[in-house]
Amino acid sequence: MIDCHEGQSMKEKFKIALAQMDFTQGNKAENLKQIEKTVAKAKKQRADLVIFPELSLTGYVLRDQIYELAETIPGPSTKIMERIAKQANMYIIFGMPELSEKTQATLHNTAVLIGPEGLVGKYHKMYLPTHSVFEEKRYFRPGYQTPVFDTPLGKIGMIICYDIYFPEVTRLMRLKGAQLIVCISASPGIRRTFFETLTSARAIENTAFLAYVNLVGVEDGLQFWGGSRLVGPNGKVLAQAKYDVEDFLTSEVDYADIRPIEAFIPTLRDLRPELFDKLKESAEKL
Amino acid sequence: MKLTPRLLELDWDEVEERIQRFIRDYMEKSQAKAIVLGMSGGIDSCTTAALSAQAVGGSNVLGLMLPEEETRNIKDIAHAKLVAKKFRLKTKAIDITPTLKAFYRSVPIFEPEDRLSKGNIKARARMIYIYYYANRLNMLVCGSSDKSETMMGYFTKWGDVAADISPIMDLYKTQVRKLAQHMGIPKEIAAKPPSPALWPGQLAERELGMKYEELDLILYGLEHFMKSEEIAAQLDIAKQMVEKVKLRWLSSEHKRRMLLTAKLEYRTVGTDFRLPRSP
Repeated sequence: MIDCHEGQSMKEKFKIALAQMDFTQGNKAENLKQIEKTVAKAKKQRADLVIFPELSLTGYVLRDQIYELAETIPGPSTKIMERIAKQANMYIIFGMPELSEKTQATLHNTAVLIGPEGLVGKYHKMYLPTHSVFEEKRYFRPGYQTPVFDTPLGKIGMIICYDIYFPEVTRLMRLKGAQLIVCISASPGIRRTFFETLTSARAIENTAFLAYVNLVGVEDGLQFWGGSRLVGPNGKVLAQAKYDVEDFLTSEVDYADIRPIEAFIPTLRDLRPELFDKLKESAEKL
Repeated sequence: MKLTPRLLELDWDEVEERIQRFIRDYMEKSQAKAIVLGMSGGIDSCTTAALSAQAVGGSNVLGLMLPEEETRNIKDIAHAKLVAKKFRLKTKAIDITPTLKAFYRSVPIFEPEDRLSKGNIKARARMIYIYYYANRLNMLVCGSSDKSETMMGYFTKWGDVAADISPIMDLYKTQVRKLAQHMGIPKEIAAKPPSPALWPGQLAERELGMKYEELDLILYGLEHFMKSEEIAAQLDIAKQMVEKVKLRWLSSEHKRRMLLTAKLEYRTVGTDFRLPRSP
C-alpha cells in the first residue's frame, strides 16, 4: 500500500530535524508543550520534517498506566499535533500509545506522520520486545502492515525500535518505494552498539536514507542513550547526535544521492525472490 | 563464552557517569533535598558515597557512621572519614551501642549466643537511624549493596539493603573494587577483607566459602544462563561448588522481593500490579 497525496510536487532535497528529547513519564500535556517548542525551533532552522522518539507523547515506561494514556488516532493529541504541524507548515513524526477505535483496551505502539494537510498516516510496531527489561507484548497488539506514505518529502516508511532487528520490515517498505526510512526508538544504554550497526546496515542493504531518533533520560532505571543519526544510502553517518543528553540537529536529505549508490552496489537489482519463499518455509519450522 | 576476569571489565568512565546520572535523576524526580547513606568504611559504602557526592555535590550527601562497641574498628572509621574528606561529603558519627543494649534488655527471648539474630538487630537498627535522618531532613536513602552479596542473599532482610535506591547493585564486588580504583578511592579500602560487621571477626569470603574473584565468575555464568557443568568445567572447580552458589542464589529470592500474598483479586500488589516506579 502506498498512500498518495496527489497534486503535491515532491522535493528531492529537504531538511530533516532529529529531536532527541527526554519526555516526562505519563504527562501528555507537558510533552506536547515540549514538542510544540521543538517544532518552533525546527521551523526557525527551516526544517521540513521533524522527528521525535518512540512514545514521545507519554514517555516509554508506563506499565499499567498505559490504559489511561492511550488515545485513538485521530484523537485529542493528534488534533493538537495537527494544529502544530499546520501552524509550522511542517511534517512531524512522533510516537504514542494508540487505542484501537473498535475496542476499549487493545493498544498499539504507533508512529504517527502528520503534515500541514493533517494526519498523513500511521504505523503499528510489528516487533514488540518482550525480553530482558521489555514487556511490550503484555500491552500492545503487533502491527501487520508496512505502509509507505507518498508525501511532498518523498516516500516515507516508519519503523519503531526493535523492528530494526528484522530486515524484512524495511525491505518491504523499500520495495514499496520508500526513500526515507524513519526509525523512532526508546533504546536503553547497553544496546547502543547493536543499533549503531543496524541503522547503517538497514540503510546500506536498501540503499535508502535512514533517520534514527532515540529517547534520552532515565525512566525506572533505564537510561536511554540518544545517539540519534541520519544515515545516507551508502551507510555514511550524515548527522550524529550526542549520547545520553538532549540534542537537536538538522541535516539535509538529498534523494539524488540514492542513484549512484544503487548503481554501485545494486542490492535491489540483485534481490532473489525465490529465497523469500524458502525463508517463510524455514521460519515456520524454527 | 569463556569465563575469565576480562568479562567483568567495563568502561569505568561510562559506568561512573551512568550511575551518577541515575542518582541525580532520581533525586530530582523525588524532590529530595539530599542523600543520606550508612558509611561503614567498607568498599561498597565508600564507593556509593563518592558516587553520590559526585552526582549531587558533597554538600548534599550525608554519610552516617554508626559504630557499636563489639565491632567498632578504628581503621574503618578512618577510611570512611578519608573518603568523606576526599569527596567533600558531610559525615555524622553516632554510637548505636546504647540503643542496641536497650533493645537487647527489652526482648524477653533475647539470646546473646545467637549471633546471627543479634547481628541482624544491628543492621536493622542502623536502617532506623538512616531513615530517621531521611524523614526529618527530606533526604533520599542510598543503599550500597553490590550484586555479589545481593544475589547470594548475603545481607539482612529489611536491614542494610533497605534503601530508596541502590546505585551499585548491578556491579559485582570485584567490579566495585575496579570502579573504586578508577574513582581514586584509596587502595587500602579495596584491599581489606570485606565484612558485614555483625559480630567481631566476621569475614564475608570465609562465610561465602570462596574468594569474590571466583564467586563473581560463577554468578556471572549463572546470570548468563550457563549450566552448572559448564561453569564448573570452565573454572576448573567441583560442580558441587557451583550448585551450592546456585542454590543459595535461588533460595534467597524472598529477600529480594516484596510482599508475597495469596492471589485473590483482579490486580494484586507485588504480583500483577504493574506501575512505573518513578516518583
